[in-house]
Amino acid sequence: MKRLSPTRLGFAVFAVALLLYPLVFTNPFFLDIGVTFLLAAISASAWNIVGGYAGQISVGHSMFFGLGAYAPLLFYQWLGWPPMAGIPIGIAASVVLAIIIGMPTFRLTGHYFSMATIAVAELIRIFTGTWDFVGAAIGLQGPATARGWWDLTFRGETPYYYIFLGVLAVLLFITHTIERRRFGYYLRAIKARERAARSLGVPVLQIKMKALMLSATFTSLAGSLYAIKTGFIDPESGFGILVSVQMVIIAALGGAGTLFGPLLGALILIPLQSATNTWFGGGGSGLTYILYGGIIVLIARFEPGGLFELWHRVVAKYRSRRHAA
Amino acid sequence: MLLEARDVSKSFGSFRAVSGANLTIEEGEIVGLIGPNGAGKSTFFNCLAGDMPVTTGQIIFDGRDITRASPEAHARIGIGRTFQLPATFEDMSVLDNVMVGAFLRHPHRDDAREHARKIIELTGLTAHASNWARSLGTPGRKRLEIARVLASQPRLMLLDESLAGLTPAELRDAIGLVKRIHEMGITLVIVEHIMEVIMTLTRRVLVFNQGHVIASGKPEDVVKDPAVIDAYLGHGDVPRRG
Repeated sequence: MKRLSPTRLGFAVFAVALLLYPLVFTNPFFLDIGVTFLLAAISASAWNIVGGYAGQISVGHSMFFGLGAYAPLLFYQWLGWPPMAGIPIGIAASVVLAIIIGMPTFRLTGHYFSMATIAVAELIRIFTGTWDFVGAAIGLQGPATARGWWDLTFRGETPYYYIFLGVLAVLLFITHTIERRRFGYYLRAIKARERAARSLGVPVLQIKMKALMLSATFTSLAGSLYAIKTGFIDPESGFGILVSVQMVIIAALGGAGTLFGPLLGALILIPLQSATNTWFGGGGSGLTYILYGGIIVLIARFEPGGLFELWHRVVAKYRSRRHAA
Repeated sequence: MLLEARDVSKSFGSFRAVSGANLTIEEGEIVGLIGPNGAGKSTFFNCLAGDMPVTTGQIIFDGRDITRASPEAHARIGIGRTFQLPATFEDMSVLDNVMVGAFLRHPHRDDAREHARKIIELTGLTAHASNWARSLGTPGRKRLEIARVLASQPRLMLLDESLAGLTPAELRDAIGLVKRIHEMGITLVIVEHIMEVIMTLTRRVLVFNQGHVIASGKPEDVVKDPAVIDAYLGHGDVPRRG
Protein backbone atom coordinates (compact mmCIF):
# COMPACT_ATOMS: atom_id res chain seq x y z
CA MET A 1 0.00 0.00 0.00
CA LYS A 2 1.22 3.47 -0.86
CA ARG A 3 2.32 5.44 2.22
CA LEU A 4 0.83 8.85 2.91
CA SER A 5 3.30 11.74 3.03
CA PRO A 6 3.44 13.63 6.35
CA THR A 7 1.70 16.61 4.71
CA ARG A 8 -1.14 14.51 3.27
CA LEU A 9 -1.51 12.59 6.50
CA GLY A 10 -1.65 15.86 8.43
CA PHE A 11 -4.29 17.17 6.04
CA ALA A 12 -6.42 14.02 6.34
CA VAL A 13 -6.34 14.21 10.15
CA PHE A 14 -7.16 17.92 10.01
CA ALA A 15 -10.09 17.35 7.63
CA VAL A 16 -11.59 14.69 9.89
CA ALA A 17 -11.05 16.94 12.93
CA LEU A 18 -12.89 19.79 11.16
CA LEU A 19 -15.82 17.53 10.33
CA LEU A 20 -16.10 16.22 13.89
CA TYR A 21 -15.39 19.49 15.73
CA PRO A 22 -19.03 20.58 16.35
CA LEU A 23 -19.88 17.09 17.56
CA VAL A 24 -17.05 17.13 20.11
CA PHE A 25 -17.08 20.79 21.17
CA THR A 26 -20.76 21.48 21.76
CA ASN A 27 -20.11 24.45 24.06
CA PRO A 28 -21.26 27.67 22.25
CA PHE A 29 -17.96 29.41 23.07
CA PHE A 30 -15.89 26.78 21.28
CA LEU A 31 -18.41 26.53 18.45
CA ASP A 32 -18.12 30.28 17.95
CA ILE A 33 -14.32 29.96 17.77
CA GLY A 34 -14.77 27.22 15.15
CA VAL A 35 -17.09 29.35 13.02
CA THR A 36 -14.81 32.39 13.33
CA PHE A 37 -11.84 30.23 12.37
CA LEU A 38 -13.61 29.01 9.22
CA LEU A 39 -14.63 32.52 8.22
CA ALA A 40 -11.09 33.79 8.72
CA ALA A 41 -9.73 30.84 6.73
CA ILE A 42 -12.14 31.57 3.84
CA SER A 43 -11.21 35.29 3.78
CA ALA A 44 -7.47 34.63 3.99
CA SER A 45 -7.63 31.85 1.37
CA ALA A 46 -9.51 34.21 -0.95
CA TRP A 47 -6.87 36.93 -0.37
CA ASN A 48 -4.19 34.30 -0.94
CA ILE A 49 -5.17 33.85 -4.61
CA VAL A 50 -4.08 37.36 -5.56
CA GLY A 51 -1.81 38.25 -2.63
CA GLY A 52 -0.11 34.90 -2.06
CA TYR A 53 0.05 33.18 -5.43
CA ALA A 54 0.29 36.25 -7.69
CA GLY A 55 2.25 38.35 -5.14
CA GLN A 56 -0.02 41.38 -5.61
CA ILE A 57 -0.39 42.59 -2.05
CA SER A 58 -3.82 44.04 -1.35
CA VAL A 59 -4.12 45.89 1.94
CA GLY A 60 -7.71 46.85 1.27
CA HIS A 61 -9.52 43.58 0.68
CA SER A 62 -12.10 44.72 3.22
CA MET A 63 -13.71 46.64 0.34
CA PHE A 64 -14.84 43.31 -1.15
CA PHE A 65 -15.68 41.86 2.25
CA GLY A 66 -17.75 44.93 3.11
CA LEU A 67 -19.63 44.96 -0.19
CA GLY A 68 -20.43 41.31 0.30
CA ALA A 69 -21.56 41.98 3.87
CA TYR A 70 -23.74 45.00 3.12
CA ALA A 71 -25.55 43.60 0.05
CA PRO A 72 -27.59 40.85 1.85
CA LEU A 73 -28.64 43.14 4.69
CA LEU A 74 -29.56 45.91 2.26
CA PHE A 75 -31.84 43.49 0.42
CA TYR A 76 -33.46 42.53 3.69
CA GLN A 77 -33.70 46.09 5.02
CA TRP A 78 -35.20 47.75 1.94
CA LEU A 79 -36.99 44.95 0.12
CA GLY A 80 -37.66 42.45 2.87
CA TRP A 81 -36.03 39.76 0.74
CA PRO A 82 -34.03 36.90 2.26
CA PRO A 83 -30.51 38.18 2.91
CA MET A 84 -28.96 35.50 0.73
CA ALA A 85 -30.61 37.11 -2.31
CA GLY A 86 -28.04 39.89 -1.95
CA ILE A 87 -25.05 37.55 -2.17
CA PRO A 88 -24.79 37.61 -6.01
CA ILE A 89 -25.19 41.39 -6.01
CA GLY A 90 -22.34 41.74 -3.48
CA ILE A 91 -20.17 39.49 -5.63
CA ALA A 92 -21.03 41.38 -8.82
CA ALA A 93 -20.27 44.74 -7.17
CA SER A 94 -16.96 43.36 -5.86
CA VAL A 95 -15.92 42.08 -9.28
CA VAL A 96 -16.75 45.43 -10.87
CA LEU A 97 -14.71 47.21 -8.18
CA ALA A 98 -11.85 44.75 -8.75
CA ILE A 99 -11.85 45.65 -12.45
CA ILE A 100 -11.92 49.37 -11.70
CA ILE A 101 -8.94 49.10 -9.35
CA GLY A 102 -6.96 46.42 -11.16
CA MET A 103 -7.08 47.69 -14.73
CA PRO A 104 -5.13 50.91 -14.15
CA THR A 105 -2.85 49.81 -11.29
CA PHE A 106 -1.79 46.42 -12.66
CA ARG A 107 -0.36 48.18 -15.72
CA LEU A 108 2.11 49.96 -13.45
CA THR A 109 5.11 48.51 -11.67
CA GLY A 110 5.71 49.23 -8.00
CA HIS A 111 3.30 49.47 -5.09
CA TYR A 112 0.45 51.29 -6.82
CA PHE A 113 -1.95 48.37 -6.46
CA SER A 114 -1.35 48.11 -2.71
CA MET A 115 -1.77 51.85 -2.26
CA ALA A 116 -4.93 51.93 -4.39
CA THR A 117 -6.56 49.11 -2.43
CA ILE A 118 -5.96 50.70 0.95
CA ALA A 119 -7.12 54.12 -0.31
CA VAL A 120 -10.33 52.81 -1.90
CA ALA A 121 -11.20 50.66 1.13
CA GLU A 122 -10.78 53.63 3.46
CA LEU A 123 -12.79 55.92 1.17
CA ILE A 124 -15.65 53.42 1.06
CA ARG A 125 -15.54 53.02 4.86
CA ILE A 126 -15.73 56.77 5.41
CA PHE A 127 -18.44 57.20 2.78
CA THR A 128 -20.53 54.33 4.17
CA GLY A 129 -20.31 55.87 7.63
CA THR A 130 -22.11 59.00 6.40
CA TRP A 131 -24.66 57.48 4.00
CA ASP A 132 -28.11 56.96 5.56
CA PHE A 133 -29.24 54.52 2.88
CA VAL A 134 -26.74 51.99 4.17
CA GLY A 135 -27.38 52.80 7.83
CA ALA A 136 -24.51 55.32 8.13
CA ALA A 137 -22.36 54.80 11.24
CA ILE A 138 -25.05 52.69 12.95
CA GLY A 139 -25.06 50.03 10.27
CA LEU A 140 -27.69 47.50 9.20
CA GLN A 141 -29.41 44.59 10.87
CA GLY A 142 -30.65 41.28 9.53
CA PRO A 143 -33.78 39.34 10.52
CA ALA A 144 -34.04 38.86 14.28
CA THR A 145 -36.00 35.63 13.86
CA ALA A 146 -36.16 33.33 10.89
CA ARG A 147 -39.20 33.61 8.59
CA GLY A 148 -38.08 30.39 6.95
CA TRP A 149 -34.92 28.42 6.27
CA TRP A 150 -34.08 30.82 3.43
CA ASP A 151 -33.31 33.57 5.94
CA LEU A 152 -30.39 31.41 7.13
CA THR A 153 -31.03 32.61 10.67
CA PHE A 154 -30.28 29.72 12.99
CA ARG A 155 -30.37 29.53 16.78
CA GLY A 156 -27.21 27.52 17.16
CA GLU A 157 -23.81 27.84 15.56
CA THR A 158 -23.62 24.33 14.11
CA PRO A 159 -25.53 24.99 10.82
CA TYR A 160 -23.27 28.01 10.15
CA TYR A 161 -20.25 25.89 10.90
CA TYR A 162 -21.09 23.34 8.23
CA ILE A 163 -22.14 25.98 5.66
CA PHE A 164 -18.81 27.78 6.17
CA LEU A 165 -16.93 24.49 6.03
CA GLY A 166 -18.60 23.69 2.71
CA VAL A 167 -17.62 27.07 1.25
CA LEU A 168 -14.04 26.63 2.48
CA ALA A 169 -13.88 23.17 0.89
CA VAL A 170 -15.08 24.57 -2.45
CA LEU A 171 -12.57 27.42 -2.29
CA LEU A 172 -9.69 25.05 -1.46
CA PHE A 173 -10.72 22.74 -4.28
CA ILE A 174 -10.73 25.65 -6.75
CA THR A 175 -7.35 26.88 -5.47
CA HIS A 176 -5.90 23.36 -5.71
CA THR A 177 -7.18 23.07 -9.29
CA ILE A 178 -5.63 26.46 -10.13
CA GLU A 179 -2.30 25.35 -8.65
CA ARG A 180 -2.15 22.43 -11.05
CA ARG A 181 -3.10 24.34 -14.19
CA ARG A 182 -1.32 26.80 -16.45
CA PHE A 183 -3.03 29.65 -14.60
CA GLY A 184 -1.34 28.61 -11.34
CA TYR A 185 2.09 28.33 -12.93
CA TYR A 186 1.62 31.75 -14.48
CA LEU A 187 0.60 33.25 -11.12
CA ARG A 188 3.77 31.97 -9.48
CA ALA A 189 5.91 33.12 -12.40
CA ILE A 190 4.44 36.63 -12.14
CA LYS A 191 5.10 36.69 -8.42
CA ALA A 192 8.71 35.57 -8.91
CA ARG A 193 9.74 37.78 -11.85
CA GLU A 194 7.13 39.63 -13.79
CA ARG A 195 9.48 40.80 -16.52
CA ALA A 196 10.77 37.30 -17.19
CA ALA A 197 7.21 35.95 -17.18
CA ARG A 198 6.19 38.46 -19.83
CA SER A 199 9.15 37.48 -21.99
CA LEU A 200 7.82 33.89 -21.96
CA GLY A 201 4.44 34.98 -23.26
CA VAL A 202 2.58 35.17 -19.94
CA PRO A 203 -0.32 37.65 -20.39
CA VAL A 204 0.46 39.35 -17.11
CA LEU A 205 -2.39 41.88 -16.95
CA GLN A 206 -5.01 39.30 -17.87
CA ILE A 207 -3.74 36.78 -15.31
CA LYS A 208 -3.57 39.35 -12.52
CA MET A 209 -7.09 40.55 -13.32
CA LYS A 210 -8.50 37.03 -13.27
CA ALA A 211 -6.80 36.36 -9.94
CA LEU A 212 -8.13 39.59 -8.44
CA MET A 213 -11.69 38.96 -9.66
CA LEU A 214 -11.69 35.42 -8.28
CA SER A 215 -10.24 36.64 -5.01
CA ALA A 216 -12.84 39.43 -4.80
CA THR A 217 -15.63 36.91 -5.45
CA PHE A 218 -14.74 34.71 -2.49
CA THR A 219 -13.89 37.62 -0.21
CA SER A 220 -17.31 39.07 -0.96
CA LEU A 221 -18.90 35.70 -0.22
CA ALA A 222 -17.05 35.62 3.10
CA GLY A 223 -18.47 39.07 3.89
CA SER A 224 -21.99 37.88 3.06
CA LEU A 225 -21.63 34.84 5.28
CA TYR A 226 -20.35 37.02 8.11
CA ALA A 227 -23.28 39.45 7.85
CA ILE A 228 -25.88 36.70 7.57
CA LYS A 229 -24.42 34.89 10.56
CA THR A 230 -24.04 37.91 12.85
CA GLY A 231 -27.18 39.66 11.55
CA PHE A 232 -25.41 42.97 11.73
CA ILE A 233 -22.90 45.05 9.79
CA ASP A 234 -21.40 48.52 10.29
CA PRO A 235 -18.63 50.39 8.44
CA GLU A 236 -15.87 49.25 10.80
CA SER A 237 -16.72 45.53 10.82
CA GLY A 238 -17.27 45.56 7.03
CA PHE A 239 -14.72 47.94 5.55
CA GLY A 240 -12.35 48.50 8.52
CA ILE A 241 -8.58 48.28 8.07
CA LEU A 242 -8.36 45.46 10.63
CA VAL A 243 -10.52 43.27 8.39
CA SER A 244 -7.97 43.64 5.58
CA VAL A 245 -4.93 43.33 7.83
CA GLN A 246 -6.28 40.17 9.40
CA MET A 247 -6.50 38.47 5.98
CA VAL A 248 -2.91 39.44 5.15
CA ILE A 249 -1.51 38.35 8.51
CA ILE A 250 -3.32 35.02 8.59
CA ALA A 251 -2.09 34.13 5.08
CA ALA A 252 1.46 35.36 5.78
CA LEU A 253 1.67 33.60 9.13
CA GLY A 254 0.66 30.25 7.71
CA GLY A 255 2.36 30.68 4.34
CA ALA A 256 1.21 33.00 1.55
CA GLY A 257 1.04 31.25 -1.80
CA THR A 258 0.42 27.82 -0.29
CA LEU A 259 -2.88 25.95 -0.26
CA PHE A 260 -3.09 25.28 3.46
CA GLY A 261 -1.05 28.24 4.74
CA PRO A 262 -4.13 30.43 5.42
CA LEU A 263 -5.76 27.56 7.33
CA LEU A 264 -2.69 27.15 9.49
CA GLY A 265 -2.53 30.90 10.08
CA ALA A 266 -6.20 31.02 11.07
CA LEU A 267 -5.77 28.01 13.31
CA ILE A 268 -3.16 29.92 15.31
CA LEU A 269 -4.46 33.49 15.17
CA ILE A 270 -8.19 33.02 15.84
CA PRO A 271 -7.85 31.08 19.13
CA LEU A 272 -5.13 33.56 20.14
CA GLN A 273 -7.49 36.46 19.47
CA SER A 274 -10.31 34.79 21.39
CA ALA A 275 -7.95 34.20 24.30
CA THR A 276 -6.82 37.85 24.45
CA ASN A 277 -10.44 39.02 24.18
CA THR A 278 -11.41 36.69 27.03
CA TRP A 279 -8.47 37.64 29.25
CA PHE A 280 -8.56 41.38 28.74
CA GLY A 281 -12.18 42.01 27.73
CA GLY A 282 -13.10 45.47 26.38
CA GLY A 283 -10.07 47.03 28.08
CA GLY A 284 -7.78 45.17 25.70
CA SER A 285 -9.31 46.33 22.43
CA GLY A 286 -6.01 47.92 21.36
CA LEU A 287 -4.28 44.60 21.93
CA THR A 288 -5.36 43.36 18.50
CA TYR A 289 -3.16 46.01 16.88
CA ILE A 290 -0.22 45.07 19.10
CA LEU A 291 -0.77 41.38 18.37
CA TYR A 292 -0.88 41.97 14.62
CA GLY A 293 2.16 44.25 14.72
CA GLY A 294 4.11 41.70 16.75
CA ILE A 295 3.22 38.90 14.33
CA ILE A 296 4.28 40.99 11.32
CA VAL A 297 7.67 41.66 12.93
CA LEU A 298 8.18 37.99 13.85
CA ILE A 299 7.23 36.70 10.39
CA ALA A 300 9.39 39.27 8.59
CA ARG A 301 12.38 38.56 10.85
CA PHE A 302 12.30 34.79 11.30
CA GLU A 303 10.08 33.11 8.73
CA PRO A 304 9.13 35.27 5.70
CA GLY A 305 7.79 32.17 3.93
CA GLY A 306 5.37 31.47 6.78
CA LEU A 307 4.99 28.43 9.02
CA PHE A 308 4.18 26.12 6.15
CA GLU A 309 7.62 26.69 4.68
CA LEU A 310 9.09 25.87 8.09
CA TRP A 311 7.05 22.65 8.07
CA HIS A 312 8.36 21.75 4.59
CA ARG A 313 11.93 22.32 5.77
CA VAL A 314 11.41 20.09 8.81
CA VAL A 315 9.91 17.34 6.62
CA ALA A 316 12.78 17.64 4.11
CA LYS A 317 15.34 17.39 6.93
CA TYR A 318 13.55 14.38 8.41
CA ARG A 319 13.52 12.67 5.00
CA SER A 320 17.18 13.36 4.30
CA ARG A 321 18.12 11.96 7.75
CA ARG A 322 16.07 8.84 7.15
CA HIS A 323 17.63 8.52 3.73
CA ALA A 324 21.12 8.80 5.22
CA ALA A 325 20.38 6.26 7.99
CA MET B 1 14.55 38.08 -43.90
CA LEU B 2 13.51 37.17 -40.37
CA LEU B 3 14.20 40.36 -38.44
CA GLU B 4 14.92 43.90 -39.52
CA ALA B 5 15.63 46.90 -37.32
CA ARG B 6 15.39 50.15 -39.28
CA ASP B 7 17.07 53.27 -37.96
CA VAL B 8 16.29 52.40 -34.33
CA SER B 9 17.00 55.05 -31.70
CA LYS B 10 16.36 55.00 -27.99
CA SER B 11 16.67 58.01 -25.71
CA PHE B 12 16.35 58.38 -21.94
CA GLY B 13 15.57 62.05 -21.50
CA SER B 14 18.36 63.92 -23.22
CA PHE B 15 20.67 60.88 -23.25
CA ARG B 16 20.60 58.93 -26.50
CA ALA B 17 21.54 55.31 -25.71
CA VAL B 18 21.05 53.99 -29.23
CA SER B 19 21.31 56.17 -32.30
CA GLY B 20 20.01 55.08 -35.70
CA ALA B 21 20.95 51.40 -35.45
CA ASN B 22 20.17 49.12 -38.38
CA LEU B 23 20.20 45.33 -38.38
CA THR B 24 18.94 42.62 -40.69
CA ILE B 25 18.93 38.96 -39.75
CA GLU B 26 18.26 36.10 -42.10
CA GLU B 27 16.58 32.92 -40.85
CA GLY B 28 19.17 30.48 -39.49
CA GLU B 29 21.91 33.08 -38.83
CA ILE B 30 23.87 33.65 -35.63
CA VAL B 31 24.61 37.34 -35.18
CA GLY B 32 26.78 38.81 -32.43
CA LEU B 33 26.38 42.22 -30.78
CA ILE B 34 29.52 43.43 -29.08
CA GLY B 35 30.87 46.65 -27.67
CA PRO B 36 32.35 48.12 -24.50
CA ASN B 37 30.21 48.61 -21.39
CA GLY B 38 27.61 51.32 -21.88
CA ALA B 39 27.89 51.13 -25.67
CA GLY B 40 24.12 50.69 -26.09
CA LYS B 41 24.03 47.06 -27.17
CA SER B 42 21.86 45.91 -24.25
CA THR B 43 19.45 48.79 -24.82
CA PHE B 44 19.24 47.87 -28.50
CA PHE B 45 18.76 44.24 -27.46
CA ASN B 46 15.91 45.23 -25.13
CA CYS B 47 14.27 47.17 -27.97
CA LEU B 48 14.45 44.07 -30.18
CA ALA B 49 12.89 42.00 -27.37
CA GLY B 50 9.99 44.45 -26.93
CA ASP B 51 11.13 45.23 -23.42
CA MET B 52 11.79 48.89 -24.20
CA PRO B 53 9.77 50.99 -26.61
CA VAL B 54 11.96 52.55 -29.29
CA THR B 55 12.04 56.35 -29.51
CA THR B 56 12.20 56.32 -33.30
CA GLY B 57 12.63 53.64 -35.92
CA GLN B 58 10.90 50.43 -36.84
CA ILE B 59 11.33 46.73 -36.09
CA ILE B 60 9.95 44.13 -38.50
CA PHE B 61 9.74 40.41 -37.74
CA ASP B 62 8.82 38.03 -40.54
CA GLY B 63 7.17 40.86 -42.46
CA ARG B 64 5.17 42.06 -39.44
CA ASP B 65 5.70 45.43 -37.75
CA ILE B 66 6.43 44.66 -34.08
CA THR B 67 7.81 48.07 -33.12
CA ARG B 68 5.12 48.67 -30.48
CA ALA B 69 4.42 45.02 -29.61
CA SER B 70 4.61 43.93 -25.97
CA PRO B 71 7.13 41.34 -24.71
CA GLU B 72 4.25 38.82 -24.45
CA ALA B 73 3.42 39.40 -28.11
CA HIS B 74 7.10 38.94 -29.01
CA ALA B 75 7.06 35.56 -27.29
CA ARG B 76 3.87 34.53 -29.04
CA ILE B 77 5.23 35.28 -32.52
CA GLY B 78 8.44 33.40 -31.76
CA ILE B 79 11.00 35.77 -30.23
CA GLY B 80 12.51 34.49 -26.99
CA ARG B 81 15.12 36.14 -24.79
CA THR B 82 17.39 35.58 -21.82
CA PHE B 83 18.49 38.21 -19.32
CA GLN B 84 21.94 39.55 -18.48
CA LEU B 85 21.36 38.66 -14.81
CA PRO B 86 19.57 35.30 -14.78
CA ALA B 87 15.87 35.91 -14.10
CA THR B 88 14.82 32.42 -13.05
CA PHE B 89 11.72 31.83 -10.93
CA GLU B 90 13.57 31.08 -7.72
CA ASP B 91 10.78 29.47 -5.69
CA MET B 92 9.80 27.10 -8.47
CA SER B 93 11.50 23.86 -9.43
CA VAL B 94 13.67 23.63 -12.53
CA LEU B 95 10.92 21.60 -14.21
CA ASP B 96 8.24 24.14 -13.29
CA ASN B 97 10.42 26.97 -14.62
CA VAL B 98 10.71 25.26 -17.97
CA MET B 99 7.00 24.40 -17.95
CA VAL B 100 6.15 28.11 -17.77
CA GLY B 101 7.89 28.47 -21.14
CA ALA B 102 6.33 25.27 -22.49
CA PHE B 103 2.79 26.41 -21.64
CA LEU B 104 2.99 28.97 -24.45
CA ARG B 105 2.55 26.26 -27.10
CA HIS B 106 1.20 23.45 -24.88
CA PRO B 107 -1.69 24.75 -22.74
CA HIS B 108 -2.37 21.41 -21.04
CA ARG B 109 -0.19 20.49 -18.11
CA ASP B 110 0.71 16.96 -19.17
CA ASP B 111 1.74 18.11 -22.66
CA ALA B 112 3.72 21.01 -21.22
CA ARG B 113 5.47 18.71 -18.74
CA GLU B 114 6.39 16.20 -21.42
CA HIS B 115 7.79 18.95 -23.66
CA ALA B 116 9.63 20.54 -20.73
CA ARG B 117 11.27 17.22 -19.83
CA LYS B 118 12.61 16.89 -23.38
CA ILE B 119 14.08 20.39 -23.22
CA ILE B 120 15.56 19.72 -19.78
CA GLU B 121 17.29 16.66 -21.17
CA LEU B 122 18.56 18.60 -24.19
CA THR B 123 20.01 21.31 -21.96
CA GLY B 124 21.63 18.87 -19.53
CA LEU B 125 19.51 19.78 -16.52
CA THR B 126 17.88 16.39 -15.93
CA ALA B 127 19.69 15.78 -12.65
CA HIS B 128 18.31 19.07 -11.30
CA ALA B 129 14.76 18.82 -12.65
CA SER B 130 13.08 18.59 -9.26
CA ASN B 131 15.42 21.00 -7.46
CA TRP B 132 14.50 24.58 -6.67
CA ALA B 133 15.83 27.05 -9.23
CA ARG B 134 17.43 28.95 -6.33
CA SER B 135 19.59 25.92 -5.55
CA LEU B 136 21.41 26.25 -8.88
CA GLY B 137 24.66 28.17 -9.30
CA THR B 138 25.12 30.85 -11.95
CA PRO B 139 25.97 28.41 -14.79
CA GLY B 140 22.91 26.32 -13.94
CA ARG B 141 20.65 29.35 -13.84
CA LYS B 142 21.91 30.57 -17.20
CA ARG B 143 21.30 27.14 -18.64
CA LEU B 144 17.84 27.10 -17.09
CA GLU B 145 17.01 30.43 -18.70
CA ILE B 146 18.02 29.06 -22.07
CA ALA B 147 15.92 25.94 -21.43
CA ARG B 148 12.92 28.02 -20.45
CA VAL B 149 13.10 30.08 -23.64
CA LEU B 150 13.68 26.97 -25.75
CA ALA B 151 10.54 25.42 -24.28
CA SER B 152 8.53 28.31 -25.74
CA GLN B 153 9.67 27.10 -29.19
CA PRO B 154 11.04 30.39 -30.52
CA ARG B 155 12.16 31.05 -34.09
CA LEU B 156 14.58 33.72 -32.89
CA MET B 157 16.50 33.59 -29.60
CA LEU B 158 18.12 36.66 -28.10
CA LEU B 159 20.88 35.64 -25.68
CA ASP B 160 22.02 38.44 -23.37
CA GLU B 161 25.45 37.48 -22.03
CA SER B 162 24.17 33.98 -21.36
CA LEU B 163 27.70 32.60 -21.44
CA ALA B 164 29.37 35.20 -19.23
CA GLY B 165 30.88 34.20 -15.89
CA LEU B 166 31.47 30.56 -16.82
CA THR B 167 34.65 28.57 -16.27
CA PRO B 168 36.49 27.43 -19.44
CA ALA B 169 34.97 23.94 -19.16
CA GLU B 170 31.46 25.32 -18.59
CA LEU B 171 32.00 27.69 -21.48
CA ARG B 172 32.85 24.81 -23.84
CA ASP B 173 29.66 23.01 -22.78
CA ALA B 174 27.59 26.15 -23.22
CA ILE B 175 29.02 26.80 -26.69
CA GLY B 176 28.12 23.21 -27.57
CA LEU B 177 24.56 23.83 -26.34
CA VAL B 178 24.20 27.00 -28.42
CA LYS B 179 25.43 25.08 -31.48
CA ARG B 180 22.81 22.38 -30.85
CA ILE B 181 20.12 25.05 -30.57
CA HIS B 182 21.26 26.52 -33.86
CA GLU B 183 21.15 23.10 -35.48
CA MET B 184 17.48 22.92 -34.47
CA GLY B 185 16.93 25.77 -36.95
CA ILE B 186 16.68 28.57 -34.41
CA THR B 187 18.10 31.95 -35.38
CA LEU B 188 20.29 33.55 -32.70
CA VAL B 189 21.34 37.04 -31.67
CA ILE B 190 24.06 36.97 -29.04
CA VAL B 191 25.20 39.89 -26.89
CA GLU B 192 28.54 38.88 -25.48
CA HIS B 193 31.81 40.25 -24.11
CA ILE B 194 33.72 37.01 -24.46
CA MET B 195 35.39 37.13 -27.86
CA GLU B 196 35.92 33.36 -27.87
CA VAL B 197 32.13 32.96 -28.00
CA ILE B 198 31.74 35.53 -30.74
CA MET B 199 34.59 34.12 -32.82
CA THR B 200 33.40 30.52 -32.41
CA LEU B 201 29.69 30.94 -32.89
CA THR B 202 28.91 33.91 -35.07
CA ARG B 203 29.36 34.58 -38.76
CA ARG B 204 28.43 38.24 -38.49
CA VAL B 205 29.02 40.83 -35.79
CA LEU B 206 27.76 44.36 -35.06
CA VAL B 207 29.96 46.54 -32.89
CA PHE B 208 28.32 49.24 -30.77
CA ASN B 209 30.02 52.25 -29.29
CA GLN B 210 28.38 55.29 -27.69
CA GLY B 211 25.01 54.32 -29.11
CA HIS B 212 26.18 53.91 -32.69
CA VAL B 213 26.97 50.84 -34.78
CA ILE B 214 30.62 51.53 -35.59
CA ALA B 215 31.39 48.35 -37.51
CA SER B 216 29.75 45.22 -38.84
CA GLY B 217 30.90 42.17 -40.75
CA LYS B 218 32.73 38.90 -40.22
CA PRO B 219 34.16 38.57 -36.70
CA GLU B 220 37.71 38.03 -37.93
CA ASP B 221 37.52 41.26 -39.95
CA VAL B 222 35.76 43.28 -37.30
CA VAL B 223 38.36 42.62 -34.60
CA LYS B 224 41.00 44.13 -36.85
CA ASP B 225 38.94 47.25 -37.53
CA PRO B 226 40.84 50.26 -36.08
CA ALA B 227 37.56 51.88 -34.95
CA VAL B 228 36.71 48.77 -32.96
CA ILE B 229 40.15 48.53 -31.41
CA ASP B 230 39.98 52.19 -30.52
CA ALA B 231 36.52 51.78 -28.96
CA TYR B 232 37.69 48.96 -26.70
CA LEU B 233 41.17 50.00 -25.72
CA GLY B 234 41.98 53.33 -27.22
CA HIS B 235 44.99 51.61 -28.80
CA GLY B 236 46.01 47.93 -28.99
CA ASP B 237 44.12 44.65 -29.43
CA VAL B 238 40.56 43.67 -28.75
CA PRO B 239 40.56 41.62 -25.51
CA ARG B 240 40.47 37.95 -26.23
CA ARG B 241 39.71 35.31 -23.65
CA GLY B 242 42.47 32.83 -23.42
